[in-house]
Amino acid sequence: MKTVYKLIIALVILATTGLTVVACSSTKGTYSDVPATADAVAEEEFKMEKSGAQLWGETCNRCHIAPSPADYNDTDWETISLHMRVRANLTEKESMKIEEFLKSAN
Amino acid sequence: MKKLLVFTTLLVLGSSIYGQTYNTFEPSKTQFMLRGYGHTGFEYMDSGDETESTFLGSAFAPIFLYKHSDRLMFEAELEFVLESNELEIGLEYADVMYVLNKNMTVRAGKFLLPFGTFMERLHPAWINRLPNAPLGYGHDGIAPSSGIGVELRGAFDLGGPKLNYSVYSTNGPRIKDGSEEPEEAGILQFANYEDTNLAKAYGGRIGLLPFSDSSTEIGFSAYSTSGTGEEDSEFEDIGAFLYALDFSLVKQIPGLSGIVDVKAQYNSSNVDTATFIEMHEDGDEEEYSFDNQSNSFYAQLSYRPTMANSDFVKKLEFVGRYSDFNAPEGAEWEEKSTQYAFGLNYWLSWRSVVKLSYQTTETEGGHDGDGITNTDGLFLHWAIGF
Ligand code: HEC
Repeated sequence: MKTVYKLIIALVILATTGLTVVACSSTKGTYSDVPATADAVAEEEFKMEKSGAQLWGETCNRCHIAPSPADYNDTDWETISLHMRVRANLTEKESMKIEEFLKSAN
Repeated sequence: MKKLLVFTTLLVLGSSIYGQTYNTFEPSKTQFMLRGYGHTGFEYMDSGDETESTFLGSAFAPIFLYKHSDRLMFEAELEFVLESNELEIGLEYADVMYVLNKNMTVRAGKFLLPFGTFMERLHPAWINRLPNAPLGYGHDGIAPSSGIGVELRGAFDLGGPKLNYSVYSTNGPRIKDGSEEPEEAGILQFANYEDTNLAKAYGGRIGLLPFSDSSTEIGFSAYSTSGTGEEDSEFEDIGAFLYALDFSLVKQIPGLSGIVDVKAQYNSSNVDTATFIEMHEDGDEEEYSFDNQSNSFYAQLSYRPTMANSDFVKKLEFVGRYSDFNAPEGAEWEEKSTQYAFGLNYWLSWRSVVKLSYQTTETEGGHDGDGITNTDGLFLHWAIGF
């Protein structure tokens, strides 16, 4: 079989498993509901804004097993956060929120 | 009795001095961290007519991290390994990075190249789920692992999905012309301290995390250069174009009571056709050339039952990996290999793992000559990060 085909098949299989897994396991509601009041708007925004803890759980597991907050002290977490932000190409928001969480929970 | 008195006095005084140093401790603005990893193991290989087994001396890789400010940082890794009873020291990387703004960081020095994800993100022994790299990486691999140059990288939040990028220019690769190692004529050598021509390598990677839970990432990388030979040599204009596709999925799936981790990468290397010289045993020279295209692929699936009730089971991990490597037909290093690797890991901590693995590899051609070789290997490795 030509490699190109192998590759396409592999990608399609991976993409479908990926999509299925994500689609089946997501418990979040859709964000399309139109909120009626200002309170609801605020609540909606609050819901969409992920906490540092959640971001830590989702992000720091992607390459290696995620370290726990207690593994390092605050100064170390600052260095590690900058290192990981650059190495893992994380967004500024992700890395700042995770750093805050790690420093608050150690 | 006297001795005891002196001892207690010393102990009391000593500890109060010790305590005082810590009382006046204030965090400094700059910070230095010494980190790194090491690994050691046992391997047994059986290739039909040949069997060998060996304990592997530990490899030791200290990493130096120096954070000067919230924007400026330096990272370096040394690698100490024993190679035929000699200590070899390698500089894996040494680079400075500076955060220019929220979407862009500049790096300069010797850095791991974001050509796909394996070398930059997954190869350290305490991260890699199997004791060795897939086919196509490492010695004689076709994917560049590091380079000396400059790079811009960063990430964008697309309100759920995320996009990350990196673009770089490094000293270009060198083509082996066969004058020193005729059996390696046509192989590209990356990570050169000095460039031998004006042609630099340009490359980059773009990664997309389409879902807001960051579970999935797909990436495309490219690397190209217009010249791989020495200035004024006949290889000066032999260019090369390489690309890679990578995929990653890490997700906790309650239905499976654990975390599923899928990683894959495809590498393709196309080097312009060049003419090499083959020396026959009787002293005759013969010119030959070949279509210099290679590729390699791996896909790995691993599963950790993190939600299991038993503490022992929670720390286990099951891994399977397929990889293949195809080197050009007609080259002295012509090869077609496929490998299946299976592993069972036990995680002592987030950075320390004992890996047991069985691997079977079928190689056609390669350095060991023609014909097909089947090699079975059994590995027991212990990796620790610190
Ligand atoms: C894209 C892959 C990736 C992601 C995502 C990632 N890491 Fe890492 N991490 C690495 C790699 C690669 C290393 C090893 C660096 C080296 O040895 O050169 C590492 C090393 C570390 C280390 C060891 C000390 C150091 O800085 O080298 C810590 C601690 C760490 N990561 C924490 C984290 C945390 C916390 C997160 C979440 C914000 C995270 N990592 C996300 C790839 C990643």
